[in-house]
Amino acid sequence: MEAGRPGSPARRPVPTGRKSRHAGHSHPSHQVPRRAVAAALLCGGLLAVGGGLMLLTGPAAHPGISPGPVAHPAKPPAGVIVAPPGPVTGATVPRPVYLSIPAIDVHTRLIRLGLTAQGTLQVPASTSVAGWYTASPRPGQVGSAIIAGHIDSYTGPGVFFRLRLLRPGDRVYVRHTNGTLAVFRVYAERTYAKDRFPTVKVYGPAPDPELRLITCGGTFDPATGSYLSNVVVYAAQIR
Amino acid sequence: MTIQPRIRRTRSGTLPSGVSRTVGSATASLRSLCFRRSVLLAGLIAAASGLLIAAAPAVSAITAATGTSGDGWIQLAHLSPNTPPVDVYLYSFGNPRARIVLDHVAYGTVSPYEKVASGEYTVAMRAAGAKPGSPPVLSTNVTIVTGRAYTVAGMGPASGLRLQVLRDRLTTPKGVSLVRVVQASLRDQKVTVTAGPQMLARGLAFGSVTGYGTADPGTWIVHVSGMSGIATQSLTLTAGTIHTLVVLDGASGLMIDNLVNAAGSAVMPKGGAATGLGGTAPVPAPSPVPWTALIAAGALCAGAAAYWLRRARYQARHAR
Repeated sequence: MEAGRPGSPARRPVPTGRKSRHAGHSHPSHQVPRRAVAAALLCGGLLAVGGGLMLLTGPAAHPGISPGPVAHPAKPPAGVIVAPPGPVTGATVPRPVYLSIPAIDVHTRLIRLGLTAQGTLQVPASTSVAGWYTASPRPGQVGSAIIAGHIDSYTGPGVFFRLRLLRPGDRVYVRHTNGTLAVFRVYAERTYAKDRFPTVKVYGPAPDPELRLITCGGTFDPATGSYLSNVVVYAAQIR
Repeated sequence: MTIQPRIRRTRSGTLPSGVSRTVGSATASLRSLCFRRSVLLAGLIAAASGLLIAAAPAVSAITAATGTSGDGWIQLAHLSPNTPPVDVYLYSFGNPRARIVLDHVAYGTVSPYEKVASGEYTVAMRAAGAKPGSPPVLSTNVTIVTGRAYTVAGMGPASGLRLQVLRDRLTTPKGVSLVRVVQASLRDQKVTVTAGPQMLARGLAFGSVTGYGTADPGTWIVHVSGMSGIATQSLTLTAGTIHTLVVLDGASGLMIDNLVNAAGSAVMPKGGAATGLGGTAPVPAPSPVPWTALIAAGALCAGAAAYWLRRARYQARHAR
């Protein structure tokens, strides 16, 4: 401290910071870029702080759309209700073409679904219609008929958005090509993680005419663009 | 007038003691079982006193049974050629009210599967039109396990009628059908059954049942041959389906009844379904760490730059 005070000779072996100040004096042209850099750094830093704060508090979370409460069934769709078949398979049931679930306001035509190249269940290209898997029994025939539909599109609800709200006792109607109706009664609603999906229970044989209505549910994984679970509604034909 | 039917119901309620565990006595030919007046009158007093006690729990039990989703399945059949039509009753164990009553079930009749809660049941057969409270001709117990299906069939000749409980399969190996054969023809004591090139039963004796065998999917001609002749029928087998072929005595010769025990998807899809694109999914709040880090870094840079600028200005002023 003491040594530093008297005059310039002591300044000679200067640390870099001081040297640069001297350099600044002797070459003023260098002063401007350095100040500019500092100013830019200042502005950049302030921008980063502002931006960070905005993103932290801004439009971060989106609560998702939840289905409202279900309306309780009005009246069944028009059509002649057919009795479930006996164990003798004399008559074949016509192809299913339309699905009505008044409890959750689903009224959709049924398209035909097959399998994907990977062997998984094909899903309708449109999120507003449901489809029947053609290698499963026809709805109203002995066995477990598979119907799948989307819970949502990229932007909003799909045909089976409210499927998980179905409860035991709710009615499901399937219309065949000849206009007859098979009436099913929901008896269970289950959610399964896709990596532990019980394929035999869902797609495997059933001894009575049943429906399996399938959609997605659970948590949506933005990384893979898919839901982590499936919702399956089980219904049996009533007599 | 109003008492009479109610008493009958109550009496029906009480399973006659000693019958529930028997599987058909040797004398099990179907008798016409009428009540004598005296028995009826004697029972009247006892039944009337028991009515209130018996009815209340019975009603609640039925409500409970229909309120829950079924756990297992049962179907009832009459496959005894020379036995006249019967009424078939299904009782849930300990509940005197019949869960199911099938009236006038004739030879060759098979009911659809009934979904019932798992547990102990009693199947009883009475002559068609017999009073529900009369002692059954035949009864047997069956334990229904969750997720399993059963056929309870009256089998054999009328003179040796028995109720047989068959366990029905509900799953198939991949890509095939399962078929079993029930021999219920008295006309031909032994039959041989083939479906196309596939042997389903060889020399199967009257009143017996084969196990399930695998059969290839396709449409086959089923041949049943016995001493009295042959019968043929087309049979379409889809992978993932389970069939029971019943050989019956027809009006003239043999008949084949194709029962579908269960059906599933011919080709089972892998895993679940990709039925959602995420448009209604809640987007979780992103982690605050990167933004907080950005703010910290920005503040550090800005602070350093400000300090630097200020010091440079200060030093510049003092240097003059």
